[in-house]
Amino acid sequence: MIRVEALSKNFGEVEAVIDVSFSADDGKVTALLGPNGAGKSTTLRMLSTVIKPSSGNAYIDGFDVRQETMAVCSRIGVLPHATGLYDRLSARENIRYFGELHGMERDPLEARIDSLVEMLDMSEFSDRRVGGFSQGQRIKVALARAIVHDPKNVLLDEPTNGLDVMATRALREIIHGFKNEGRCVLFSSHVMQEVTNLCDDVIIIGQGRLQFQGTLDRLKTDTGQEDLEEAFIRVIGAQD
Amino acid sequence: MRGFMVVLRKECTDNIRDRRTIISSFSLALLGPALFVGLMAFVLNTALGSSTDSVALTVVGSDNAPQLVAFLEQQNTEINREELEDPKQAVIDGSHDLILVIPETYAARFSKGQINSLPLIYDSSSIGKARRNYNQVRDMIRRFAQGIGFLRLQLRGVDPSITAPVLVHEVDTASPAARALTILATLPYLLVLVIFMGGFYLAIDTTAGEREHGSLEPLLSQPTSRVQLVLGKITATSIFGAMSLILFLGSLAVAVPFVPLQKIGMSLEIGLGASLGIFLVALPLIFFAASLLTVVASFAKSYKEAQTYLTIVILVPTLPLIIAQLMGVEASPLLMLVPSLSQSTLISDLIIGEPVEWLHLIISAATTGTLGAGLAWLAISLYRRESILI
Repeated sequence: MIRVEALSKNFGEVEAVIDVSFSADDGKVTALLGPNGAGKSTTLRMLSTVIKPSSGNAYIDGFDVRQETMAVCSRIGVLPHATGLYDRLSARENIRYFGELHGMERDPLEARIDSLVEMLDMSEFSDRRVGGFSQGQRIKVALARAIVHDPKNVLLDEPTNGLDVMATRALREIIHGFKNEGRCVLFSSHVMQEVTNLCDDVIIIGQGRLQFQGTLDRLKTDTGQEDLEEAFIRVIGAQD
Repeated sequence: MRGFMVVLRKECTDNIRDRRTIISSFSLALLGPALFVGLMAFVLNTALGSSTDSVALTVVGSDNAPQLVAFLEQQNTEINREELEDPKQAVIDGSHDLILVIPETYAARFSKGQINSLPLIYDSSSIGKARRNYNQVRDMIRRFAQGIGFLRLQLRGVDPSITAPVLVHEVDTASPAARALTILATLPYLLVLVIFMGGFYLAIDTTAGEREHGSLEPLLSQPTSRVQLVLGKITATSIFGAMSLILFLGSLAVAVPFVPLQKIGMSLEIGLGASLGIFLVALPLIFFAASLLTVVASFAKSYKEAQTYLTIVILVPTLPLIIAQLMGVEASPLLMLVPSLSQSTLISDLIIGEPVEWLHLIISAATTGTLGAGLAWLAISLYRRESILI
């Protein structure tokens, strides 16, 4: 459960996020949509505690991202914009490192890694060093690493970037799996089509401000557009 | 403590697998002593030479002065009798180092009591023994001439001392050992460099490297305190610095017996006890170096940028050593306040087996350790700021 209340962030003169409020529920997939530079990554980074809000606040399962960073960190799994894996470690070692940082004990951790390897279909390359991996393989490892501690909330920053059709499809299934497990999934994207089959709720951000929150159906009725891409453009364009 | 251990273990495993890190960290430690010993041996063998070594001399026209040649042979000279067309050219060509030419007129002039001028040909610009050998042979011939001169005066009933109312008596305080010591003084300098080089790449990889590869952001969203995270990284860097020093000391212990120090009646033995002492004295400096390198590398956004910064940083702790060596600074409590300078002073005392004052040891360890801790704290506060990601 993610709740964002009047969140703002400015870097010097630049206002990256302005007064954004929304919520994302457990057992649902919520898409954070917006053109490049709209403030999607900045919002996700504030939720993952690595940057501090200038004003407003956000809560993960009721924990304050400003004050209770440790509690927040153990309740979220983050897939950042760049996968940020360690090339000289194997897939398993990369996953294990974060599991250990979450304070997991050896046996449950190894069991968890085994199940993640199976779930994400990584057995072929799980013991190889990450250095030569394809983007699809990297995303899988980074995803497994993000959820090694079984977090209730999963934040994915443009996860389909650089993935081919097959890998995108595999990722979609994984995200569906997260939803069925009752997790709260929040992922950002700038591609409208990507979200149609996947998400329950849509949040649209344009120029740092919240433009829309609701279901896909409501997006269509609100804008009077059958085509989602048209609806998306209508919503963002309304700002200009 | 758990997060600390996890980070420490990961950074060590990760970097041991990196050939670039290994080469950069340990090549100086392994090869430094070999270079050092080579330099020592070269200086001792050539510049100082050994008085027991015989002097090689080529004599042209040796039959013209059998008496002189016999005298030279008695003075531990290896005479090579040869007839050369152009002895000067032979030296220029490099086929001969030192040639004495005795003209055919020698015997006749000698018996008439006339002056004989003998060319002694050598090349003063050549590196090696030429100049020393020249000086030795010239002195021998002078002594021979003086001896003959004195005899002639005595035969005429004149006291030979009348020709030498004033004599110079040379007293050179620079013993060969002292000259060897100046080279030995470069050893602590090398040692400080080895410590910094040991942690160089690790400091970059664990900070600017993480930023460049985008792994810092997910790492910082883990529930591990920044204190444990940064200390884990600094400790990993310290371990590489320490390993580099241990390798250096081991390599030095192997290499030192090859220095021909016995030629100058000196013995240098860096045994296990001295090595351990050096290691303990250097321990706070290892931590200081790791913290300093980590702080500076944390300001850089990429590998290349960090490399540029750290190359300058490495000059900073080695600079005072060069200045101190030029000025001939002695150990004092005030000196012990300066990291790297205090350790190198203490270590040079340990190397030549001089006693080290406990007070100095304590001041050195305390100040360097505290400064290292301050830098570590600075690094931690850098990682608490979000600007580390932007």
